[in-house]
Amino acid sequence: MHREARISNYLLAGFALVSLVLLSLPLSAPVLAFKACVAYVLNPVAFYGAKGAERLSGIPGRVRGLLVADIENRLLREEIRRAAWVQAEADALRAENQRLRPALGLKPPEGLEPLWARVMERDPLHWYRSLMVDAGSEEGVALNTPVLGQKEGRLVAIGRVVEVRPRSSLVLLVTDELSSVAATLSASALEGLVQGQGGRRLLMNYLSSEVQLQAGESVTTSPTSATFPPEILIGTAVRVRPRDPFLTYQAVEVEPAVEGSALTEVLLLKKALPGRSQSMARSQGGGVSQDAAEAAR
Amino acid sequence: MTVLRRLLLFFMAMLGYWLWTSHFSLFGLAPQLLLVLTVGVAAREGPIPAMCLGFGWGLFLDVLSPRLFGANAFALTLVGYGTGSVRRQIDVTGLAPQCVVVLFMSWAYFLLLSLLGLVFARDFLWGGWPQFILDPFYNALLAALLFVLWGRRP
Repeated sequence: MHREARISNYLLAGFALVSLVLLSLPLSAPVLAFKACVAYVLNPVAFYGAKGAERLSGIPGRVRGLLVADIENRLLREEIRRAAWVQAEADALRAENQRLRPALGLKPPEGLEPLWARVMERDPLHWYRSLMVDAGSEEGVALNTPVLGQKEGRLVAIGRVVEVRPRSSLVLLVTDELSSVAATLSASALEGLVQGQGGRRLLMNYLSSEVQLQAGESVTTSPTSATFPPEILIGTAVRVRPRDPFLTYQAVEVEPAVEGSALTEVLLLKKALPGRSQSMARSQGGGVSQDAAEAAR
Repeated sequence: MTVLRRLLLFFMAMLGYWLWTSHFSLFGLAPQLLLVLTVGVAAREGPIPAMCLGFGWGLFLDVLSPRLFGANAFALTLVGYGTGSVRRQIDVTGLAPQCVVVLFMSWAYFLLLSLLGLVFARDFLWGGWPQFILDPFYNALLAALLFVLWGRRP
């Protein structure tokens, strides 16, 4: 303890002496040099402290900016996602609009009015036979209502309604074996009967055996068809079958203009109700409604 | 305490003091961290390291101040010596004695600086009553905080 006291006394004397010299001779060269040395050694503490503090003081602002940017980023991502969804919806509507526009020029036969329906369901086991649409008896659909599709702005015979429910109907496609439609070949004006084969193609029978048939002719519905209006496209004759010596008629294979599996909407030609046809026709819009209204009058 | 740790304490204390007085002063009042540390070192380690550190810290304060160069060095050396002397009489390693020593040393420090100003610059360097009255208590609070953080000497 005595040794510590002695050393501390010496130290006090030394430090006090230095301090008093510094205080007494502030402008002398040695004191100024000493002060410069001390400042050189100790000033960086304040200098780097100031720089560090400046950097640290900027952190809250930067963090805040980062958070704001993150929030904005999330909102914008959400908006982009929503915009993409709206865009997809608009594209779908545009495509649907393009698909449906040609049908506005349809002039339905007297006493019939058009009704658009969406394809609800297809049975994978009966792909070429039937499909379900979302219009039923509540919309005025009845048995044997003709069902049309469209291809490149032209209406195409698809099938007929064979089962009606309140809000849906079952459509028997022309490709089903049980289907048959009275049809004519466009160029030769020959009349025959188009029958389904249960597959992709149709067969047009009962064509006169006296005529030389050629592939490539369009096949349309005949005015004698009990179901379809006349001049509705069915398909194209793609192959003339070899003559059978035991048969008195010829047959051609017909490629349907539209596959039932490619359709998303179909047009049903339902019977117009008396007094209601005008308002219904107006609701369908465009030339169709005008024609239907005229027909109703 | 090794030399390296003392050097670290020396520089970190100066940085801490500078930061506190520059950025965290309340109504112009900031504790004399270097004085509190000088007292703390003297109480724990004895007067010799406290006087060395106090003299160095005093020079740092003098460099920062445009007034009397050497006054703070002298005052903090005396604080270290005084605390070391008190240490021989009473146990100052406890919380309450250390706070009391800091309280009185703060007043002594202020008065000494003013007197040195009067002697060497013919100007009684008076910081003002609020500082003279409140700063010692602020220092005592800081001493208590450091005591809690630092812990009692084993």
